[in-house]
Amino acid sequence: MLRHTPDDGFPTPTSRVQRETEEIISDSSSVTFTLNRKGHLSFIARALLQGFPKHYAYQDASQAWFMFWSLQGFSLLGAGLDPDNKQRAIDTILAAQHPDGGFGGGPHQAPHLLPTYASVCALSIVGRPGPRGGWDQINRKGLYAFFMSLKQPDGSFRVAKDAEVDIRGTYCLLAVATLLNLLTPTLVRGVPGFVRSCQTYEGGFASASQPYYTADFELLSEPRPPLGEAHGGYTSCALGSWLLLQPFVHGTDEPQIDVKDALRWLTKMQCGPMDLGGFRGRTNKLVDGCYSWWVGGCFALLEGLGAGAGVATPPPHDEASESNASEIDWYDFDDEMFNKTGLQEYILLAAQSPAGGLRDKPPKVADAYHTLYNLAGLSVAQHRVYSSPLRKYVIEQCWISQPQDDLSLDSSETPSQRDTRRRRIFVAAQSWTEDESPGVSRVLGDASNRVNATHPLFNLMVTHSRGIMDYFYGQTPAS
Amino acid sequence: MSFSGPGTLYTDNPAWRDVAPVSQHDEGANPMAPIMYTLEYKDATDYFRGILKTGEKSARVLELTEHIIRLNPAHYSIWQYRYETLLATNADLKAELLLMDDIATAHLKTYQVWHHRRLLLQQLRTPVPELVFIASILDIDTKNYHTWAYRQWLLGHFNDDGMWAGELPYAEEILSNDVRNNSAWHHRFFVVWASGVRKGDENREETLRRELNFTKSKISLAPNNDSAWNYLRGILNHTQTSFASLRDFVVPYTLPHFPISASTTVLDLENPLPSSTAKLPCPAALEFLAEIHEDERHEEGIKNAVLLYKQLAEEQDKTRKLYWEHRAREALKLAPEVTSI
Repeated sequence: MLRHTPDDGFPTPTSRVQRETEEIISDSSSVTFTLNRKGHLSFIARALLQGFPKHYAYQDASQAWFMFWSLQGFSLLGAGLDPDNKQRAIDTILAAQHPDGGFGGGPHQAPHLLPTYASVCALSIVGRPGPRGGWDQINRKGLYAFFMSLKQPDGSFRVAKDAEVDIRGTYCLLAVATLLNLLTPTLVRGVPGFVRSCQTYEGGFASASQPYYTADFELLSEPRPPLGEAHGGYTSCALGSWLLLQPFVHGTDEPQIDVKDALRWLTKMQCGPMDLGGFRGRTNKLVDGCYSWWVGGCFALLEGLGAGAGVATPPPHDEASESNASEIDWYDFDDEMFNKTGLQEYILLAAQSPAGGLRDKPPKVADAYHTLYNLAGLSVAQHRVYSSPLRKYVIEQCWISQPQDDLSLDSSETPSQRDTRRRRIFVAAQSWTEDESPGVSRVLGDASNRVNATHPLFNLMVTHSRGIMDYFYGQTPAS
Repeated sequence: MSFSGPGTLYTDNPAWRDVAPVSQHDEGANPMAPIMYTLEYKDATDYFRGILKTGEKSARVLELTEHIIRLNPAHYSIWQYRYETLLATNADLKAELLLMDDIATAHLKTYQVWHHRRLLLQQLRTPVPELVFIASILDIDTKNYHTWAYRQWLLGHFNDDGMWAGELPYAEEILSNDVRNNSAWHHRFFVVWASGVRKGDENREETLRRELNFTKSKISLAPNNDSAWNYLRGILNHTQTSFASLRDFVVPYTLPHFPISASTTVLDLENPLPSSTAKLPCPAALEFLAEIHEDERHEEGIKNAVLLYKQLAEEQDKTRKLYWEHRAREALKLAPEVTSI
């Protein structure tokens, strides 16, 4: 007999709405563990090929996101576009690139970090080198200048000209800069401090922080209070950012984020049995299918930081130990810190809409955003994707030197430093791989419920992230 | 009158005759995932793209951008252009703020609505009425993320003692309506601990005592409330106060029943007991006690910690079984001589 979340005989609006939600979920849930692949593929395809009805004008500034949500949704379900539609997708994505650099939410819209992430990731999926392929048409120099124009004195970035500062911008920028080989010391200066400052007393991360300055405009190290409570979306962006910054931070005396508190907060976000094991986004708020990814995906990121290994600092990152394959022993922690079965149950039984597509919770309607993030959450619940020391070693050995600064981005480095830095970034991102050992992947229900594994840093297929990075880092594709 | 509004398209409006509308898509384009806009929206945005091309900043642009914002409050490019236009035309920003009151109420969850207010406040520097406006929104939507974060930004940005003074009572009022409102707990932490020392709170020991008593009393009302426990842990960590100092308070919450004994007739304000309707033991209390034991570091302490973690893993908080087992393993590392429980 499943028990409701206790209200201690002291009901408040929070506990009442929690109780109602639990009742709705238990009343509306399916009883069969079947992923409706056909329904979800149709849902995505319909939007891509036929378009959206008029009330989607509210999402006019998110057209770039629709491309990413749809294409990555397809990838997770093991589908792809035919060559004609692939080209059509590339052309659609490129139409949103601003002449000065960066991508907007749609054609003629101002460049913005979030649609830039969506567009570059979408191009990672459907694009290729060469004419009309999408990759060569990205204005990387303009993009870098756009990034630098948004940089704030406290290490944060505005998401667009005159727009808000928040950590989603930081993550989107770092992810794109990593994929396109634009990540320089000048770009990341002050960024670790900003990310750290967003961690709240609860252990999760907030949207941004408040900088205080001295009379001489020096940033004070405190107070730097987080603005807004710990939140799943911002935590995903913070931890993703922190991982992407490791090539610059690891092995230096840069203070760490509190990994133990982050882990505690993340596990506390998993809901109890009456919410079927889905995730909420904040303490005392309701379950929502999109947090399957934002929160569920964080565990793999923490594994990448050695969260459960019981050691506060990762092993020394010098030349000798970097390639030592026996470091596998050190990672005695796996990403199994949350109830993966429970998450799969929520997604399969509550988040699937009978008409196709996936949703926040019953009885809400499905939408493209929730479709992707539920599928991505299903992926993390089924598979383990981790940073492999063995792959690191192999990639290191195969690295083709890249010291040149052909876009003249950052003259603060020597060619040798530039090459070392690029190698570190490339190796760190490319080392992630699916653990295909027997018994590691666990698919609830029929084997046909299996979705593909996704890269925890980008939410792309590992093959897609490798492809675009091989190209922009001047490396030959892995055999 | 150049404001078209519903029913009069810009294309039919002589006041806009001098502007060449620009289509979103180029001739011959075959975009994927097209949106089937209403004629009103397409017309208005075609004219916006038209004035974007010429760089016009005028009163009629303010009307056009207001029109589009009402149709799509998330159109960040329009908001940004509107802001530039307000400054370029020396517009009345106070009037703009009032207009925003109207739009915000309809579109509470849009980033741009709140950010636009922030830009206006940075120009106007009239934060006190803004606090009142924010409170009116939070009255409707008690956990709106943008709104709380904006309130915190406003307080930190202006950093005015008079503004700060009302915040503790405000957070307390929200918590008295709903002790489980995590946004309000976070706000309390922001005001009391995270953004510097408030006037009158300079005696940090006194501040800590007040906050501990407040939090303990809230826990006793409804112990299964992670917001209150997270706040408690937060202030102890922030002030580097040992968890052990709250042992007497926590223990009753780790027991399976409401404590019935003679001593409960004496009201201990320092250690309020759980109510008779509380569901006990409460997992957060078990965890707290386990950490107290872990901090003892010796064999007995570690054994007790591990037993509590196992109790959580196997009975009281099975959702987090794998995490509690991890915590037990971590505890065992502290006392290698403890080989089995």
